[in-house]
Amino acid sequence: MGYVAIKGGGIAIKGSLEALEALRAAEGEQGVPLSLSAIENQLRLLTSRIVSEGGLYHPRLAALAIKQMQGDTLEAAFALRACRSTKPRLLATPVQETSRMRVIRRISSAFKDIPGGQMLGPTYDYALRLMRIDLSDEAPEVFRTIAAKFMGETPAGNLPETFPKVVDALRNEGLLPQAPARAIEPFDITREPLIFPIPRSAILASMARAETGSLLALAYSNMRGYGDVHPTIAELRVGYLPVFLPHPITGEEIEAGEVLITECEVVAMYENSDNKSKPVFTLGYGACFGHNETKAISMAILDRALQKGMKEGPANPSEDPEFVVLHIDGVDSMGFANHYKMPHYVTFQSDMDRLRTTQAKAESKQGNEK
Amino acid sequence: MTDSTSYPRRDWPRLFLSLPPQQIKEAVRTLTESCRVDDQALPQSGLALLQLRDGALAEPYYIGETPLSRAQVTIIDKNGKKGAGAAQILDDRASLARDIAILDAMLANRLNGHQIIEHLLEEGAHQLARNEASRRVILDRTRVDFALLDATAEDNEI
Repeated sequence: MGYVAIKGGGIAIKGSLEALEALRAAEGEQGVPLSLSAIENQLRLLTSRIVSEGGLYHPRLAALAIKQMQGDTLEAAFALRACRSTKPRLLATPVQETSRMRVIRRISSAFKDIPGGQMLGPTYDYALRLMRIDLSDEAPEVFRTIAAKFMGETPAGNLPETFPKVVDALRNEGLLPQAPARAIEPFDITREPLIFPIPRSAILASMARAETGSLLALAYSNMRGYGDVHPTIAELRVGYLPVFLPHPITGEEIEAGEVLITECEVVAMYENSDNKSKPVFTLGYGACFGHNETKAISMAILDRALQKGMKEGPANPSEDPEFVVLHIDGVDSMGFANHYKMPHYVTFQSDMDRLRTTQAKAESKQGNEK
Repeated sequence: MTDSTSYPRRDWPRLFLSLPPQQIKEAVRTLTESCRVDDQALPQSGLALLQLRDGALAEPYYIGETPLSRAQVTIIDKNGKKGAGAAQILDDRASLARDIAILDAMLANRLNGHQIIEHLLEEGAHQLARNEASRRVILDRTRVDFALLDATAEDNEI
């Protein structure tokens, strides 16, 4: 069977792009184009998701991607990654310590009295999941006073910007293994192919830009019983991480800007020590760009599950690095799913030929048996 | 007048970045009218790979990338005094990095006009203080006041 050579569709493709654009502006004369600032601020959690899944902390470009892709998170992350691939890599930063994070939220489900105290920050955890009908017809003049009113009602206190990490306190109490800083060259997943087994730094980097739902689904399988992490959140924090780079002339550490991140450490069950040292709890770690707690928690659970899988061999899908890392990337998986929409005329004709041949053989066999 | 030593050099970019870029641009345009500015390298815009240390095993890893611009300049002011400066900022505007590198050079070497830049630092510090205060309000308003059930104060009830 030869190729089915076809051409055409160019006009239809052009028309489909115009149709997309027309639907984006379908409100017509009543419509107001979305400003990037409105997306970045009013849809800040969506923007967070895109900066994290796109692997590029650029909230404004993420807002543009959301607008351009009409809210499709997978396509928006794809656009952000495509954009980053056109830019030169100027440097890799020195290791940044997240203990320097300027916190806006920190909680622990392990202890109520964590050093520095718990601050709920902005969260839906305690919000009623009831529709706020008043938002459907929000007066602009009222909207513009909300933030100022909130800030104005409370004089800023003298709380610090940074707080000690809960896991450090647990380490000091001998409940966690000591973790001296290691000087390992991390794996760069944007430049090197993933050939298994891969180092943990490659797994962390893959999970940091993974699709939130995929990460959650695999972590959820572990939570429900296909695994045994049984996590307790030692600390979940959201805040702005200052990024320090050496001054090009003096070499002095200079703050180049800050990045909003979410970070989570989960304590898992303790391990019985083989070498007669004191048993201690184990930890899982998750972090991502933006404010995305579900993702950070899921990542922390999977990190702990994968540590076990790498050490003892995987007993469940969530403990298998290859299974997890190859199935959590949104752009990869979206691309594979959507490629099925592309013409498969040749392969399908081949399938049909085989079916017809098999049918003919079956009919012939039935005829012979009669 | 604020002495430039009031703000360590490590904080200068942060203070400048808290101001509107247009204000920085205007200040630099005015300050360099009587100076000669030479780029030591072409101002660049690209990406930085952000390296963090994980909180479980203290291993470094890359969380993702951020925009980065950098510039390095030398300046000779109208009195013939020369100084070098540079900037690396998490922003994709190379022109802004160059502006901050110019301010860095003038301030670090106390070139002609550095007093104006000290005013900019002061303004930046005020703006930054406002930003920090708004974050602190979030922490203050949401700080959890734990109490035993029988000792729960009424004022902690909604």
